[in-house]
Amino acid sequence: MSAKPKNHLTVIKQNGFCSVQDLGRMSSQHLGFSASGAADEYAFLYANYLLFLAQKLFQPCVQLNRHLTHNLNQAQLEITLGQITFKAEQNCTIAITGADCSVSINDKPVNNWQIHHVKTHDIIHFSQPKMGLHSYLGVAGGIQNKQWLGSRSQTSTEKGLGFNNAPADTISLNYRIPLAEHCNINDRNKEHYNLTSTIPASGRFDLEQASKVAFAQKQLTPSTFYKELNKPLTLRFIPQSLWHSFAKKQQTAFCKHQFTISADSNRMGYRLSETPDDITSSMSNTQSKLSKPVTFGTIQIPSKNQPIVLMKERQTIGGYPVLGSVIQTDLFKLSQLRPGNKIQFSPTTLSFAQQQLSAFHQKFCFSI
Amino acid sequence: MLKASEKSENQSLISLSYISENAVLLEWPEKICATQHQHIMFCQQQASAFLKEVLIDCIASYASLIIYYKFEKIQHDTLNTFLLELIQNPTNNNNPTSTSSNSNHVDSVENSLIEIPVYYGEGVAWDIKTVAQQTKLSIEEVIQLHSQTTYRAYALGFTPGFCYLGRLPAQLQLPRKSSPRLSVPKGAVAIAEQQTAIYPNTSPGGWHIIGQTPLDMYHADLTSNNEENKNSACQSSQFNSTIQVGQSVKFVSITLEEFLSLGGELIKEIS
Repeated sequence: MSAKPKNHLTVIKQNGFCSVQDLGRMSSQHLGFSASGAADEYAFLYANYLLFLAQKLFQPCVQLNRHLTHNLNQAQLEITLGQITFKAEQNCTIAITGADCSVSINDKPVNNWQIHHVKTHDIIHFSQPKMGLHSYLGVAGGIQNKQWLGSRSQTSTEKGLGFNNAPADTISLNYRIPLAEHCNINDRNKEHYNLTSTIPASGRFDLEQASKVAFAQKQLTPSTFYKELNKPLTLRFIPQSLWHSFAKKQQTAFCKHQFTISADSNRMGYRLSETPDDITSSMSNTQSKLSKPVTFGTIQIPSKNQPIVLMKERQTIGGYPVLGSVIQTDLFKLSQLRPGNKIQFSPTTLSFAQQQLSAFHQKFCFSI
Repeated sequence: MLKASEKSENQSLISLSYISENAVLLEWPEKICATQHQHIMFCQQQASAFLKEVLIDCIASYASLIIYYKFEKIQHDTLNTFLLELIQNPTNNNNPTSTSSNSNHVDSVENSLIEIPVYYGEGVAWDIKTVAQQTKLSIEEVIQLHSQTTYRAYALGFTPGFCYLGRLPAQLQLPRKSSPRLSVPKGAVAIAEQQTAIYPNTSPGGWHIIGQTPLDMYHADLTSNNEENKNSACQSSQFNSTIQVGQSVKFVSITLEEFLSLGGELIKEIS
């Protein structure tokens, strides 16, 4: 067991919501625990991948974790709607991704989707983003809060139960966020690294590795999606039997309808605007059923005709009629949309959804 | 004991749907039935044994079972063939009344009975009066009916340690409250439709509260940091639900003195 971490980031100002997240606890749902985890896995994995590449570049001699997937599961801060300021209590290497919060270090603007080196007493400030919801602040070695059921993800419904960190399981003003012993991987005193353009010039690299890293860098460009967050998003879904029971006309009407994301949407689920009666009336008339397991992306049709798309902090079982499941690679995008943003649905196949998710995994698990 | 013809009829009614990239849902006929649920748990155990490290999690509910798996680590056809055989092949369908082919764990859960002490006094049973009125029973009859029945634990969900128990005697069945409470106290024993359950923690809830138990609904080990804990096998030691799915449950009426001596607290509803 490791000693109490000495390294910290301290929260010195906070208006928004912030929690520690990793990829969650998919294997504890049979105990009734929400799977939880980072809302936007794209931005989350991107930040960990940046840290991983930085480590490869600047500490080539250090023996890294052999299991890349474990490394990519390093816990980060998920910052919702920005408005938070941290003070670094020591030098550390950070990665910033996700919704653009015009981050500054000591009042100097720094780039999103990049690695930065932070020195002792530096002030890292996140403003409110103009678009999107969640930003990720990754620190080399990961956030070191307490593990619960194999994960460090803080879950809002478990607030106060003491699972992830006594007493409050939440990040608030003056909270000292525990960091790993090796939270600083910079040995050159550079302030920030643009991994997408910087090719290391050092005799310490063996050629093979340097070319692999260079290749990985070329693969790394943040998705243009983050510049188009106010555009309507099409959610592709794998239909279930309820969908197939509808007339073609009704299916077409449902897919043509543009839904608005409601204000009461959160990490648990996204509630959508009411659908015109003729589209979903027969859907929700199907009697409330015995609770059955629900997944990430399950589209529920409760009685008020307001579809709900279940997100990372979803419950494990539910009783509302189910239309299908939104594919996971679209859910990461949905998690960045705000109330008022528009979405549409479009049916797809299981094999298409699996291909998309595999490609997504490969992007970040590229063997190096 | 089911006859062979009934068995095959049952099996043809089990549906298989690949509902998400990494999840397959098995659905049985929509009913709360102990024999059917035993078969669901049998399938859960068989699927876990077959998939081994490809399995992410396997969750049983009243009439359904979901299998989360690493879809990139197994051929779709391999999984599908196994599942079709599991639900179609009569030789695979163990006689639900005998648990001989089940694992020892399932066996011991199936055969165990847990008694939950409940204080049904009006001080804590916020809704027992209205339940009696709506069901046209006396308060004593409500208590008697609720505590006479042996329930089966069908599913864990809603919140950690919340176990859905069925079936509630028909005379006690009521729809959920029209407006849910924002705060139901920890330990509240409640009923809704065909189900009864205990709230493990203070939480919102729409069920009718008819009693209170001083018993904790789970034990959580909050001291260990489990740095090395990465797989599901270690997790059960960190969190143990008092009631396990498949277990039999009985409520035992206790007096106010017993309730208080077991650490129970009288919680008045703030209106």
